[in-house]
Amino acid sequence: MAEGRDFYEILGVPRNASQEEIQRAYRKLARTYHPDINSDPVAEDRFKDISEAYNVLSDPAIRRRYDAFGPEFRQIPEDVDPDAWRRSRAGAGAGRAGTAGAGAGGGFRYGAGDMDFDIEDIFGGLFGARPGRGWGPIPGADQEAELPLTVEEVYRGGRKSVTIGGAEQRSFEVNIPPGVTDGQRIRLAGQGGRGGDGARAGDLYFIVRILPHPIYRIQGRDLHVELRLAPWEAALGTSVAVDTPGGEAKVKVPHGTSCGKRLRLRGRGLPNPRGQPGDLFAEAKILVPATLSPTQRELFEQLAAASDFDPRSRQ
Amino acid sequence: MNYALIRTTRLDLGAFARATGTHPDLIRRLVALGVIDARQDPSGELWFSPSQLAAFARVQRLRAGFPLNYAAIGLVTDLLDRIAALEDALRCSRRPGA
Repeated sequence: MAEGRDFYEILGVPRNASQEEIQRAYRKLARTYHPDINSDPVAEDRFKDISEAYNVLSDPAIRRRYDAFGPEFRQIPEDVDPDAWRRSRAGAGAGRAGTAGAGAGGGFRYGAGDMDFDIEDIFGGLFGARPGRGWGPIPGADQEAELPLTVEEVYRGGRKSVTIGGAEQRSFEVNIPPGVTDGQRIRLAGQGGRGGDGARAGDLYFIVRILPHPIYRIQGRDLHVELRLAPWEAALGTSVAVDTPGGEAKVKVPHGTSCGKRLRLRGRGLPNPRGQPGDLFAEAKILVPATLSPTQRELFEQLAAASDFDPRSRQ
Repeated sequence: MNYALIRTTRLDLGAFARATGTHPDLIRRLVALGVIDARQDPSGELWFSPSQLAAFARVQRLRAGFPLNYAAIGLVTDLLDRIAALEDALRCSRRPGA
């Protein structure tokens, strides 16, 4: 809601803007934030603020009252003289200082006393029953928000607390099924855009986005990791501990493993609620020491002299 | 002869108009403009799938938000659907490892 915010600021127009400028600003913003064009949950509140500001500023008579009395203009009787009102406000002293000035800190009161002004009315006016339109209450729009998850969260599943929205934040406990894939949608029924006039709300969809991981690369439900080996480990074979989301796993590296060779750990990828889990592929990458001690150099030279291995022979 | 009772998930024109709080004539017009999908049976009766309730709600919201006529709303909803499909495809192509 536009509580405490200036209507001119909401529409991004100067206070002396012409009616035409106001309309142009409103139309442009409405095209950006209409809940059917922008499914971001924040957009609906922005659209409501924009429409509320336009409803006031587009009517010259109401706009004059808003300019004169500020955000509380709806509570000031029609026959009050703006100058007299301003003088009486200034005289009221420190007790009301907090609400003085247009749009600063004061804001609207939506109490039962405001007979003709209620935020639900404004919303109902947007998407609710309008006399003469021949429509009933209008249901709310569906909304979409991205849900970034780490590989570990996807592996384990479970509940995650998610907060969305800008000024008016909403928190949800989202149930993440283990093995959810990138791009999959999680539906929260009735948590989308509000309906006008008591109509049902739309749904909120969280679209899963798996975050890049420092060690795992994802392909569907398969995970790929780098398996770093020393030249002698790759040549002689060894047993190496590899990180998997479910904990460490031992991988037997056969002798004669060259760079790029993939070792598959069946079923150690991401779980699949409807079938086989993914696999984990450990890809051999051979690293050599950047510097060698004199003894090490000598040993490598001996190996070079004794070996007839030619990695560039085309056979 | 006995007939098994089957729960139908489709709505006739009257039920659709009641569910949306709209006059059946407006619904007929929207079907003629291709804004709402309906099937016509051999007797000429219109039948709506429940998904069209959401489609109709979108038409109402667009109509309330912009001064568009119903033919223009048909164009806007088609374009919005195409954008949604493209955004989905874009999201898939951005997947890690894809």
